[in-house]
Amino acid sequence: MAKYILKRCVSIIVTLFLVCTITFIMMKAVPGGPFTTERNLPQNVLEALEKKYHLDDPVWKQYVDYVKGAATFDFGPSFKKDGVMVSDMIAQSFPVSAKLGLVALAIVIILGIPFGIIAALKQNKFPDYLTTVFATLGIAIPTFVLGTLILYVFGSKLGWIPTHGLDSWKSYIGPSISLAGFSLAYVLRLTRSSMLGVCGQDYIRTARAKGLPERKVIFKHALKNALIPVVTYIGPMTAGIMTGSFVTEKIFAIPGMGKFYVEAINNRDYTVIMGTTMFYAAIAAIMILAVDIAYAFLDPRIKFQD
Amino acid sequence: MENTAKHITRKDVERVYFTNKESQDITRPSLTYWQDVRRRFMKNKLAILGSVIIVLMVLFAVFGYALTTQNYYSQDLTMTNIPPRLEAYRMDEDTLLYVNSEYSLYTLDGSGKLKERVEAEDENKMMREKVYDVGGKKVVLNYSGAAKAAKARKDGDMKLANSVENFTLKIDGKTPEMEKVWNKTYRLGTDYLGRDMLARLVYGARISLLVALIATFAQFCIGVLYGGIAGYLGGRVDNIMMRIVDIVSTVPLTLYVVLLMVVMGPGIKTIIIALGSVYWVDMARQVRGQVLNIKQQEFVLAARTIGASGKRIMLKHLIPNAMSTIIVTLTMNIPSAIFTESFLSFIGLGISAPAASWGTLASDALGGLRSYPYQLLLPSLCICLTVLGFNFLGDGLRDALDPKLRK
Repeated sequence: MAKYILKRCVSIIVTLFLVCTITFIMMKAVPGGPFTTERNLPQNVLEALEKKYHLDDPVWKQYVDYVKGAATFDFGPSFKKDGVMVSDMIAQSFPVSAKLGLVALAIVIILGIPFGIIAALKQNKFPDYLTTVFATLGIAIPTFVLGTLILYVFGSKLGWIPTHGLDSWKSYIGPSISLAGFSLAYVLRLTRSSMLGVCGQDYIRTARAKGLPERKVIFKHALKNALIPVVTYIGPMTAGIMTGSFVTEKIFAIPGMGKFYVEAINNRDYTVIMGTTMFYAAIAAIMILAVDIAYAFLDPRIKFQD
Repeated sequence: MENTAKHITRKDVERVYFTNKESQDITRPSLTYWQDVRRRFMKNKLAILGSVIIVLMVLFAVFGYALTTQNYYSQDLTMTNIPPRLEAYRMDEDTLLYVNSEYSLYTLDGSGKLKERVEAEDENKMMREKVYDVGGKKVVLNYSGAAKAAKARKDGDMKLANSVENFTLKIDGKTPEMEKVWNKTYRLGTDYLGRDMLARLVYGARISLLVALIATFAQFCIGVLYGGIAGYLGGRVDNIMMRIVDIVSTVPLTLYVVLLMVVMGPGIKTIIIALGSVYWVDMARQVRGQVLNIKQQEFVLAARTIGASGKRIMLKHLIPNAMSTIIVTLTMNIPSAIFTESFLSFIGLGISAPAASWGTLASDALGGLRSYPYQLLLPSLCICLTVLGFNFLGDGLRDALDPKLRK
């Protein structure tokens, strides 16, 4: 078990190191430099700028500095916003996004799993059809469409929720639902099909044959196994919620990391893009690690692997 | 799985007699695997619906320009934001008048073809009144209601706000009847630069289907081979190849694509490279799993004993036998590629103007969402329908190809 976790940790560190290298290479591969895109700067200004951002160092030294910086959560200054450090930007905007993301995550888990189970238990009855229709539509609607529709219908037309910002609990409704939408539909589908699969197995029949009450059969025997694929999906789901936040925060004008990221992309602010990408990659990697560990606890078969 | 057992008595049971010959008869014609798959697929209504949607989308992408006389790029700044359904006022047999949301007057012919924007003869800004001369008749447009409604809305009096007409139109002093006509020039309306929505949607359909094609191609060429080789060679090679896949898949694919797009600059070529270079990972995993399984079977051993080369075993034995997994993964991953492209275009990294994808169209519609929701709804509907189509197709194929379901 300990060996398994250790192995996963090492692989994640390797991954992050590689991502760091790739982002560095890409930053170097951008045609021209960060300062050549705008007006032609005088030679001495350019040199001063390059000196300020240490771009006159040899490439290997820049690389070492970059890796060192990334390891200590320091991605250097923003190229476009004067005097703003990328890590400060992340530190300011991440809590906003994280709060929103957690609300969305909670919606997915609190609604997705129970309704998936209900749909499976009432197979081919009304609740099942209802959730199936919902889930089918949910995975066909992109986040940005769901977000704009919610904004248009409930924000502009009916005036029930604020159209921008994150000031009251009401303003969480729109963005968190549009963030959760896709994953919710996916978790519904996943829970339902996995629950159906488990319920068809022999050991459930055995449990029923022993005369266990239905409640115990479902919660004690079926659920634990049925949840394994759902738990595996939580890692990719965080990634989905993260990328979803790019558009949701743009649509609802929320000052979170996603909005900064999209802004940085539009301004071609390379250090911000690279730093934020690294940060996102790290979060995704950590979530996958957490899921792997949870998985090992849920599924005892993992323990006996090397 | 009901637990109710009914007590069965002898009366409930009837003996069925078979002659020896009858019981030996084969009652159903024997089907090959693929015939069986096709039969099961054809029985699945949703799968058929999905295929129909995809075929229609392809037809729309290929022949869509026949539906419109316009092209996707030319702008007409006098014809901006004109919806597909117009609230028009009849002036005479073959002239209709239409007032857009910025209180400009347009003339249409009797069938709903847009003629032109009429310039006002005289405008009284204080009274919020415009006077036009259309075919010798004096048309007066009073748009003072809009300000009243806006004030009522601000005060929170929604009832009043909704009851006030935004404008009134008088032709030679008479109020004409309002009738709804379809826009015959721009069948699906125009965007904020006066470009034909229908033509742009057709272009978007081409982009989305192109993306679907690229994703398919990358999965097939890179994913299947990569996974196949890893699974077939096994051992250390497999280990290294799969570690690479693990590393690639730890970071969300969208992030790679965003990075690549930032470095290479937006454009269709970049989208092809970016999507092509990441959309094979899932397929590689699935194929490897299948190949690991299949290569243990006797027919592979048999092929090897008669001296078949590794390449032959791979292409003639392993991959054809993994075909069902490949097809299902293929269709299941297409929607996510389409999503990624529209997402990139939405955040401004995809197709650049004047070319359009459904994502750019949706993104362009954001600004005027209140007044022109059709500009968002049309591309959104296209994305949803296409993705739904591929999902139905994928589900149907999965059910049809699963040998466990064979009856």
